Parts: sequence; structure tokens; C-alpha cells
Amino acid sequence: MLQLERIKEGNKEILSLIGEVDASNSVLLDQSIQEILQQGTTCLLIDGSQLGYISSAGLGVFMSYLDDFSEQGIRFAIFGLNEQVSEVFKILGLDRLIQIVPDKSTAITLGNEP
Amino acid sequence: MIKNSSLPLGRISLFLAILVWLALLLVDLVRIFGMINNLESGVSEEVTWILEILFFFFIYLVYRRIFWKNRQLDFLTLIWRGVSTGLFAASAGLLTEIIYLAFGESKIGTDPFLRNVFYHINFALTSAFLIFITLLWKHLILYQKNKQVVNQWQVFEFSMLGALFFVFFNHNNFDYSFLFGLTILLILSILLAVNLKWIPYLNFKEKWKTLLFLFLIMLCAGVLFYRVLDSGNEGQLQINLTDNLFLMALFGFVFAYGLFSFLVTLFNLPTSSVFEQKLTEAINFQKLSQSIQPEESEEQVIDILLDSCISASFSDGAWIELNPKEPFQVKNPLRLLDESTKTAVLSYLPQETQSWGPSTIAEANQAQAIRISHPTYKSALLVHLLVNKSILARIVLIKEVKEGFNKEMISIIGTFARQACISVENHRLLNQAIENERYQEELKIAQRVQKALLPLKLDHPVSFDICAYSNTADEVGGDYYDTYQVDETHFVLIMGDVSGKGTSAAFHMAQMKGVFQSLIQLGIHPAEFMNKANAALSKCLERNHFITASIFEIDTANHSFCHARAGHIPTLWYKAKEKTAAFISIEGLGLGIVRNPTYKNHVEEKTFVYSSGDILVLLTDGILEGRKETGEQFGYDRIKKIVEEHHQKTPIHLQQEIINSLHQFVGGDGTIDDDYSLLVVKFKKSD
Repeated sequence: MLQLERIKEGNKEILSLIGEVDASNSVLLDQSIQEILQQGTTCLLIDGSQLGYISSAGLGVFMSYLDDFSEQGIRFAIFGLNEQVSEVFKILGLDRLIQIVPDKSTAITLGNEP
Repeated sequence: MIKNSSLPLGRISLFLAILVWLALLLVDLVRIFGMINNLESGVSEEVTWILEILFFFFIYLVYRRIFWKNRQLDFLTLIWRGVSTGLFAASAGLLTEIIYLAFGESKIGTDPFLRNVFYHINFALTSAFLIFITLLWKHLILYQKNKQVVNQWQVFEFSMLGALFFVFFNHNNFDYSFLFGLTILLILSILLAVNLKWIPYLNFKEKWKTLLFLFLIMLCAGVLFYRVLDSGNEGQLQINLTDNLFLMALFGFVFAYGLFSFLVTLFNLPTSSVFEQKLTEAINFQKLSQSIQPEESEEQVIDILLDSCISASFSDGAWIELNPKEPFQVKNPLRLLDESTKTAVLSYLPQETQSWGPSTIAEANQAQAIRISHPTYKSALLVHLLVNKSILARIVLIKEVKEGFNKEMISIIGTFARQACISVENHRLLNQAIENERYQEELKIAQRVQKALLPLKLDHPVSFDICAYSNTADEVGGDYYDTYQVDETHFVLIMGDVSGKGTSAAFHMAQMKGVFQSLIQLGIHPAEFMNKANAALSKCLERNHFITASIFEIDTANHSFCHARAGHIPTLWYKAKEKTAAFISIEGLGLGIVRNPTYKNHVEEKTFVYSSGDILVLLTDGILEGRKETGEQFGYDRIKKIVEEHHQKTPIHLQQEIINSLHQFVGGDGTIDDDYSLLVVKFKKSD
């Protein structure tokens, strides 16, 4: 089960992932990010505080947009991940490519940096 | 019913009947001889009665046998047989009459013996006719029988049996008891005579024939009855066989049922077309429901449906339009119409009925009558066929009269349409099922091919033991392991995991195998291997797929291994000297994530020295992420503990221990929703 909630705070898009991302619903996540990219933004923050589990298919979604983010100059960060999920990102080495920060305020500060 | 058909029961009965009849004739002649000569013949009239009853009984057996043999024949044939029997009996009677008219008062004409012979012949034929017709009526009455009718019939049969022996009680007198018995039997006959369910099943032509046959039967019965009455009134020198309650009641029954049948058939004539119509509808309905066999096409169903609708509604024209999205075409969509008339009529139909949009779906499968103002056609009926929530087609039926479609027609056509839709739907489901089966077969092949991609034999020297295990969540999976012997002292192990699972993962896994087997031939070391593998896979993997891998190059001469990790689950290393296990910490990014030369900055290799008794456990995330019902994961610590606890075991046993623990952990309701694999290496105490 995955629920996606999208809110806009100033110029920042915050996408909350609630539940679990696995092979069956990673498409939803992909669609949401695609939609946000199409509508245009300068900063996308993923709220992972209610994310219980992410499978490799879910990680693949983030990975596939990394080039798009850097090409379009979009700041991208994930915050609030629990230890287990955070570990998954680290093992894969994604923490080197994606900014993973502990909480929302840090993420927003990061987004505000020039 | 007597089952043993080897005995010619019919013939035996017939033979006995004739024998009894001859005996009866003889006895009666003797008795008459006695009467004429005022002699006591010594033969009492009871003998006559007994023989008479026996005769009836055997005739009954003969005909019962005949009916049993011919029970499959249709009504008309049976009734015709009754008619022919009757005609034969009646003409025999009339012939006797003519003979006597011809001979008049001559010696032959007045001879009592001859007269009695004729009388006995006529008696036999009349009885045979009446019994035959009674059995025929029984057959008709008990057509579509229920318990009540069967009971009624049994009551009647027992009463007739009583009437058979009534003569012993009544001594052939025409008195009140006779009248009383006759009245009761007539009432029973009339009660039975309302069972006429066979009549509606006759078609119009058959009904006419039935009327004629019934008339003939009643005519014959009338002639014979008149003759019986007539002979009863003749001179004294007569043995009276026919003033018998049984025979009279049979006459009554034959008349009553014949008359009822005649009248009901007559009054059924005008409505028989309705019944025929209903029958046709039922047959059409059956055709529709049976029509789609796997080899038949949906087109045929549509064809049958269109014809059924026309015949059910007596339409003057019809056509069918298929939803343009449907994959098939109907060869002749027009019935009793040409294209130009159809176009003309179409323009008179309301606009909203011409779209294929979802607004019409609510009315779909319901026939909708519309009044139109075309010069020739005044009413139309629109039927939508709904399959899988989309409109398959619509049928338009038109008639020249106003309001030509009554409620029954609309309802039956609606039913036809629904049935046709169900047939089409079933057909599609069946095809889908067949297709699915084919896919299953294909998947099985894929599974076999993929199994072959994992090595059966793992390359290893005597200095270490190794074993591997792999299981997939679906038919095929994305886990990979392999080994390669570089030279006498150098062995490479790899374990990989493709992101996602199922078929796409399986394809990438095959690519990974190709990459490994190619690159490893070059004699490159782990970090360089990862770098090159990343470059190669970047060209092959879809954008959102990646592969994680762990590679070990074991140098058995130096007791060391060089290791690189590309985003893979860290390997557990049990150190025998320290008696503890720990996951090897080393940096490394998954393959296919960064698809440019900068990848080499994200991967490193390290060389470790091992000692004998050390164990390496390579695994994929499927094991770690095996989950209980509560959501708790198997995790790193459990594996670590198991390895520390069972380090003395052989690799295969240690592996079994881990798998068992995993299964025990997730339990019956838990899930391992991913491929999971395991590779265990144990360095021997060789030196």
C-alpha cells in the first residue's frame, strides 16, 4: 500500500510517501514525480517519515530521475527516513548521489540555499 | 415392467388371447346348443365370464407390450394406429351387418351358431379396439405426468379391474348397481380427461390431423357402440358378452377423452402459432447459449442473435452495427433491408442512440422501443449488447406497424441479447484462459532457461568449500551468482541482484551473467571489474533499473581475498580466530546508477587476509527483508547470530540453517516477496 501526498510550500514541492514502495506500486511514485517535473519546480523534497519500506524497484524510480534533476537544476532531497529505509539507500550508495537529511527543517534550509 | 425381453411376451399373450377366445367361442356354442335343445350343457355362465375376463386380460397384455415397444413414437403415429384398429373393427361390424342384410331370413341368416360366431368375432375386435384406445389415452394422459395424475390413473385402473369382476356380482343385469358403477367410472373418466398436456406440443398441421383422427376414433367407437346395443336387443338365443360394465365403462372413457381431446385441439388451433413461437424462442435461446464453442466465432453468435430477434418479433427488417472498436466484422449486417433503406431509417432514429459513448451503457442490454416516422417503417426496437461494460454492438429491428413491439417481444429480445453477450463474454474468457496457459508455458520455459544460467557446479579448490542456494518470488527472478577459476590459486565469486523482480529482472540477470563471464576472462581485479561492468550495463539496462553485486577474488596461495561491492548487501565474514562475525564494510555504488566514467570514483576494493575456518556468507536483500506478519524484518543481526552459533557446520548445513530460520521467522502468514539467494564459503583448515 502506498499513498502519495503532494503539498507546495513556497517554491518547494513536498511529496510525502506513506506506506511502502514495492514493485507493484513504484509506478505510482514514478507518475507523481513525472507530473511534478512536467509542471516545473525548482525544489523537490521527499518526505519519507512515513515510509516503512522501499524495494529496489522504488529506489530505481529515484535513480532514474537523478539525471533529470541535475540537468534541470532541481534541488532534490529526501528527509525523515527511518533507520531501516535509510540503510537501504546507504547500502546501494545512493546517499552519495541524493541528499538524505534527517528532518524537514534541514531539508527546507537546504532548499533555500543559493 | 418386465425387463426380460428375450421372452416374446407379446406373442405369447396374443397366442393365449386367441386360445382363450376360441375356448370362449366353444363354451358359448356348447351353451347355446344346450339352450336350443333345452339340455343342461353342464357349462355354467361363470365359465363364459371367466374366459371373457381372461380374454380382456391377455388383450391388455398384448397392447401393453406394443405400447412399451413403441413408447418413443410420436402422438400422431400412435393415434393413427388407434384409428386403423377402430376402422378395422368397425368395418368388420358393418360387413357382418351387410352379410345379414343380404341373407335376410334365409337359413344361414337365422342360424344361431353362425350368428354367435360373428358376434364373438365382433366382440373380440371391439374389445381389442377399446383396450388399445384406452392404453393410447393412458399414454396421452400420463404425458408430462405428475404424482397426482398417476394416482388418479391408478384409481381408475383399479376401478376398471373391479368392473371386470362386477359381472359375478351383477349377473349381467341392467340394474341400478350397474348404473351406479357406470356413473362412477364415467366421473373418473371425465376427471382424467382434463389431462391434455400433449396437445400444445402439436404444431398447426399436426393438430388438424389429430382432429381428423380423433373424429374417426369417435366415429368407430360410435358405430361399435351402436352395434353392441343393437345385438344386445336381439333374440334370446344369445350369450351376452357385451352388456358388461367393463366394456361399457371403456366405451365411456374412450368417448369422454376423445371428445375432450377433440374440443381442446379444436380450440387450440388458433393459438397454436403462439406456442410454436415460444418453442422456437426456446430453441433459439438454447442455440445462443450453446453457440460459442472454442472453434466458433463471435460472429456466428451475433448472426444467430439477429435471426432469433427477427423471428421473435416478426420484424420487417433489421440490422446490426458493431462498435467500431470491436476487432471483428459481421458479414451480412442487414436483414430484409438494403443499405439505402437502412440509412434512411437511421436518420429517423433519435441522435442520442447513435453514439457509442458511456451514456448509453445504462440502457444497454435493454431493448428500447422507439416510434419513428419513416414512410414505411413506423416502429423500431433498439437493443444494445454489452460485453465487459462496453457496448459490443447494437441491433435495430423495424416494423411497418406502429407500436409493433409488445412487452413480451421486448423482454424476450432483451433475454436473447443478454444470453448472446454472456456467450461472447464466455468465449473471450475462454480464449484468455487459453492464452494465459500459453504464457504459463512460456514462463516455465523461461524458468528452465534461467535455472541453467546459474552454475550447477561451483569452481573451488580443496582449500575451501562452497555452496549456493537461490529461490525466486515469481517464476523467474533477478538473483545471480557465479564462480570462475582464474588459475590454480585464484578463484572469483560473484553474487548479484537485479532491481525489481520477475521477467524484466530475469533478462537483466542474463545480461549480468554475460558481462561477468566476459570481463572476468580479462583477468581484471574487483574494482576494475565493477567499473567495466557498470560501463557495459549502462548501455543495456533500462533507466530505472540497476544491479547490485559483490565480487571476491580469492587467492588461496596467500590466504587472502580482494573484494569490491557495488551497492550490494554487505557480506558477512565469520573470523574463526575471533569467533565473531561481522559485515564487511566497504563503499560502492550499484551498477547502472551513475552511467558515466565518474563511476570509478564510487567503487573501491580492499584485500583481506583470511584464516582457516573463516566463513563468508554472501546474500541478497530478499533474505534480510523476509518479513513476519507484524512487518518485522529478518535483518542482519539474526544471520550474524546464526553464523556465529553454527560456524562449525559445513557450508551446506549452515546454509540450510539460515534458510530454515528464515522460513520459521516469516511463518505461514509472512512473506518473502523477493528473490533470495545465499552463497556460503568456508575456508578449510588445510595446512
